[in-house]
Amino acid sequence: MKHALAFFLFLVLTLSTSLPTEASDYLNEIVRANGLYAEKHYAESAQAYESLIDKGVQNGYLYYNLGNAYIRMGKTGPAVLNYVRALKWIPRDENLEANLKFAIQQTRDKIELPPPGTLNVLLFWVHDLNFHELVVFTIGLNIIFWVNLALWMYFPFLKVVRNALLCFLFLSFVSIGVKIKNESDLKLGVVLAENVEVKSGRAGDAVTLFQLHEGALVTVTGKHDNWLEIRLNDEQKGWVPQNSLGT
Amino acid sequence: MKIFSGVFKKVALFTLFLIPMLSTLSFGQNISVTATVDKNRLTLEDVLQLSIVIQGTQNTPPPELPSLPDFRITSAGTSSSTQYINTQRSVSITYNYRLTPMNTGTIVIGSARVRANGKTYSTQPITIEVLKPSKRQSAESKAAFAEATLSSKKAYIGEQLVYTFRLFHRVEAKNLDLKLPFDKIWFDKEELGEPNAYIKVVNGLQYHVQELSIALFPLKKGRLKIPAAIIELDLLHKTQNRSRQDPFSRFFGRRTQAEHKILRSQPISIEVLPLPDGAPKGFKNLIGQFRISAEVGKRDLEVGDTTTLTVTVSGQGNVRDISFEEPDLRNYFKIYPDKPEFSQTVQNNQIRGEKVFKFALVPLEAGNRTLPKFSMAYFDSANAQYRITETRPISLTIRPSSIKEELNLVQSGQQNLPMVKPEIETLGTDILPIYTELDKFQNNGSYSSAFIAAGFGSPVVLFIISAFLIKRQNRMKYDMAFYRRRNAYKNASQRLKQISEHSDLSAPKEFARELSEILREYIGDKLNLQGKAITAEEVEARLKESHYEPGQAEGTRRLLEKCETLQYAPMTRGSTKELLGESEKMIKVLEKQS
Repeated sequence: MKHALAFFLFLVLTLSTSLPTEASDYLNEIVRANGLYAEKHYAESAQAYESLIDKGVQNGYLYYNLGNAYIRMGKTGPAVLNYVRALKWIPRDENLEANLKFAIQQTRDKIELPPPGTLNVLLFWVHDLNFHELVVFTIGLNIIFWVNLALWMYFPFLKVVRNALLCFLFLSFVSIGVKIKNESDLKLGVVLAENVEVKSGRAGDAVTLFQLHEGALVTVTGKHDNWLEIRLNDEQKGWVPQNSLGT
Repeated sequence: MKIFSGVFKKVALFTLFLIPMLSTLSFGQNISVTATVDKNRLTLEDVLQLSIVIQGTQNTPPPELPSLPDFRITSAGTSSSTQYINTQRSVSITYNYRLTPMNTGTIVIGSARVRANGKTYSTQPITIEVLKPSKRQSAESKAAFAEATLSSKKAYIGEQLVYTFRLFHRVEAKNLDLKLPFDKIWFDKEELGEPNAYIKVVNGLQYHVQELSIALFPLKKGRLKIPAAIIELDLLHKTQNRSRQDPFSRFFGRRTQAEHKILRSQPISIEVLPLPDGAPKGFKNLIGQFRISAEVGKRDLEVGDTTTLTVTVSGQGNVRDISFEEPDLRNYFKIYPDKPEFSQTVQNNQIRGEKVFKFALVPLEAGNRTLPKFSMAYFDSANAQYRITETRPISLTIRPSSIKEELNLVQSGQQNLPMVKPEIETLGTDILPIYTELDKFQNNGSYSSAFIAAGFGSPVVLFIISAFLIKRQNRMKYDMAFYRRRNAYKNASQRLKQISEHSDLSAPKEFARELSEILREYIGDKLNLQGKAITAEEVEARLKESHYEPGQAEGTRRLLEKCETLQYAPMTRGSTKELLGESEKMIKVLEKQS
């Protein structure tokens, strides 16, 4: 029994203390990119940030800084795209919110982020927490719940706490489910081309329904070959070439 | 030809005779329409009863009355009758109208028309003479009369006037219907409560008086005539119709006779004057007599405290129109106005009332403050001049707040703050800077599935282990058989160790007895039996029942028998050690099988 306990503790500690490799190189590259930005070498700075992202680094502040670099370069499309990507990681960041708003104002179409659905309004915290935070919170709650369950066998008065924790745990799992659904269903796309014609079908000679401009925010609802189905609202939807949109 | 002409004449005569006969047979009766009145001469106080009788049918629409501008017409219902005289049936219907004369003179009631059986029948015109009421009679012995008075024949626009209508009646009056003559273009009127009833003697005659007063506020200047108020009523005259000699007539002989009357008051002339020039500043068409007063709830207070400023405007006149603007104290107080309270009473047929304006004042600064005089301008109609009534100044002592906290009051958006924060003009917009703190740039790569599985699974596993341990601990505490079984080997091992170390091997009988006891106790603990009391054969049998290997059960029996034998037979030192080792081995074997 003692061996089993020790094994699990080891497993948990081992898994939870895993750190990214080559951390110092990564941080040095960040310092370099930030320095380029400070020296107003925005293109080089953006390139440095992009190279880190290409290496698989996923960090909200990195996307934010990249968005800033693109804004400075006058590229509102990539700027909006990277701010939207940053939202996934740092949804509560006020600077990000302000800069995204600024970037949208710079676009010609000035399309705001789609409003949250009913479920997201009810589970408002889902929007304010990123997926990792939700998972860590749920794991923490899970541990507390099981510890409480064990204690409840000794102390029956903990029944109320047990039930409350069970409810919270259930809600946390639902929140994770909603988050996963949001990130898979509501895929946002940003027009990167200066001007894109939204077609009625997946062909260049299809009827042009409407035009969008760089930085316009759309919801990507489908993909077929090299075409993406996009939607602005219930009435305005169509197809655009995949290379004209960043997701 | 002569023969033919003679026959023709006879046929014609017969036909002339037959046609009326046929018409009578086919329609039952001739239709005739007549109009009658109950009198041809009447006064303005009387009512004319007009009856239109249609004989020969009852299925007709109502008569079309002629134009009667000199009368006010009200329907008095219909009555129908059916009669049989010598098997002859006659039917009729009567439409009754009540005509109230509006003017004096000779008036002709034109023909009324009735449509029946596709024909139109007309009545004969009736000439009526309408006279003025007899002055002699009204002055002396009239059963009822009406009068109207106005508090003043000259008034200013907006000034309160009291119009009083009085009905004097000596006999009982029922079904009163009063029509007051005011025009909304000229007057604004307000009720002055319920009518009064009292008794008054006029020219030596006692009258019951019904008095109704109304406040009138002239709206336009000029000379105008208030027309007569008209009241319709039924006067119930009591008459004696039986012989005075009849002793019962005193009690039962009196009969009541109703007389429908229309009484008019005299028209009243009035001159409405415009308000004179020179109205003071702040004059808001208040006309009458007014006074203003002000008081505060607390005169000694701290910054942030609340005191109530109460401004009361009372008086006589158009009290309802009183308004009072919020005092200009914003530099020193926050002001929260309350809804004004209005109350009105009628005293001596005059509207009196007051309007109370309350303001919650919250001082903003410490110091001695004096609330200024509050004034109210009005036109004194009695003295025909403008006046200003004002309050006395009110001194307040405002001390610094004892609570060291910044005053943070919520104020309505409609109110203007005394110190308006200047609006900061936005000169430009830009993005916020990049993040440079390296601790923010930890790679947020997704967690491995092993981590998530461990995070969610490990507490469950730990809980299962804990639950198992807790359950085992509880069983050890409460399940004696379990406790004995779990500790059997441990106890036996300890005792074997003790016996090997401390027992005197030179006393083999004692050693054998103790060894036998250890073995029996071990088996007793394992099988939850009283080990000391069971025989070797019983041990074998119980072990077999408990699914121990038969060989081991037999070996145990033999070992126990050996121990028992040795208790009564001489033993060597070597055999005791051998027996000890054999016992230890046996216990281990049994333990493994358990």
